[in-house]
Amino acid sequence: MGAVIEHDFRVFLKYRFTLAGLISMNLADLLIMAVVYTRMVSFNYFEFLAPGIVAMGLFAAAFVIGREVNMETRRGYNLYLLSLPLRRSEFVFGRMVAGGIRGLVYGIPLLILAMVILRFPSALEVALMLFAMYLLGMGITGLAISLAVLLRSFEKFTTARSLLYLLLIFCSSVFYPIAVLQQVLRGPLIFIAEVNPLTTVSDLLRGYLMGTPSVTLWSWAQLLAFSGLFILAGSGLYIIAIQRSA
Amino acid sequence: MRWFFAIVQIGIFGFAFSRLIIAMPDYYHYYAMGVIVMTMYSVAIFTGYEIYDEADDGYVEYLLSLPITRRELVLGRSLAGGLRSFIFMSPIIAGFLLLLGVFDPWKVLAALTALYGFAFGITGLSITLAVGLKSGSSFDIVMGALDAFIVRLSSALYPQAFMPGPIAALSGFNPLTYATDLFRWSLNYDVRYLANPYFAVLVLVIFLTTFNFAGVVIYERNLEGGTWK
Repeated sequence: MGAVIEHDFRVFLKYRFTLAGLISMNLADLLIMAVVYTRMVSFNYFEFLAPGIVAMGLFAAAFVIGREVNMETRRGYNLYLLSLPLRRSEFVFGRMVAGGIRGLVYGIPLLILAMVILRFPSALEVALMLFAMYLLGMGITGLAISLAVLLRSFEKFTTARSLLYLLLIFCSSVFYPIAVLQQVLRGPLIFIAEVNPLTTVSDLLRGYLMGTPSVTLWSWAQLLAFSGLFILAGSGLYIIAIQRSA
Repeated sequence: MRWFFAIVQIGIFGFAFSRLIIAMPDYYHYYAMGVIVMTMYSVAIFTGYEIYDEADDGYVEYLLSLPITRRELVLGRSLAGGLRSFIFMSPIIAGFLLLLGVFDPWKVLAALTALYGFAFGITGLSITLAVGLKSGSSFDIVMGALDAFIVRLSSALYPQAFMPGPIAALSGFNPLTYATDLFRWSLNYDVRYLANPYFAVLVLVIFLTTFNFAGVVIYERNLEGGTWK
């Protein structure tokens, strides 16, 4: 399993252009957009957005694995994977763990930046934030893999990925407090916003770094449920996809 | 997808943010007009990627064999790129003008001219960069950085009046600032939050002339002797 994690991590570092684009976007959002909006709203938007950017960056970085799995499935690379001296469960779990680590590695510098902007919390709080980020990374990896193996056509996959990106990022508390979304969204959209793991993690990080909104067990339960569900779904679908390609 | 992106931005981000903004009235329409021009930008910039694909597919040899001058080729592509972006966005623009109740033909004409001029210039910029940067990776990096910064360092999302000094100064060199403000001015948005429209026209004309001229010169030079490969 260690070899799978190492392999996926090395592949991640090859996406340097994608990562450079992603980090530019995240930093531009925080250091330019948030600075200007702070002058236009009634609270310190720069501080509000810093934890949201951590969650959003981590989400995008963890989602990259979906593109790899989709490509492997289409190109028959799964046949090679089946020949490896590994149990399928080990292989699939290794990829989930690697996805979580990839997200975490991308998110840690942004978290440090958020701590510099806001405050340095206790060691326990830092550990809890890292754990929340890791759970989000693994859950997103599961979601990305589920999508990648369900939609084998590259066009369908990229379209679905973009739709999901838009919905999860804009229907979340990354950019605005959930109370504002409750005023403007109705029906399924507000439901998505409330159960969205990006909302949960953004607010958990805000809770630890800013003290508001307060961290509750319910938030942790929501995050665990999301990650558990998509780790299981992603693993199951991935094992079926690998077996079918044999 | 770009339509969907524009609709989600206007329908969710725009509505949510307009509840937070206290510094100006009617931020929602300000933002929606900015999103329309931003989407035009992202569609127009796509021509550069096509130039790389054409080089990969060996299509450039066919273009070189056509009985037209290189200058006509570049200018034709810029005009077509602008027109294509314009046609692509026209249902959203038409819907938006209807929602705003803008029926005055002169205002509509001024708004559409601002948008087309901008898309024409951006296509010229995209062609200039694509033929000027030999490697696809360099083009990707430049485009990624442009995407990240050109929008945020402009008045597409927020007026220059609220930008801190250095950001406001940089946005003053950004054609997106003038294209969005000119579009808003044509649609009667509050002029207190906009750049001077005459200056905006001047900047846009300089922008589209410069980049289309540079595109012609660089494209013409790089096409000869196979140096584009």
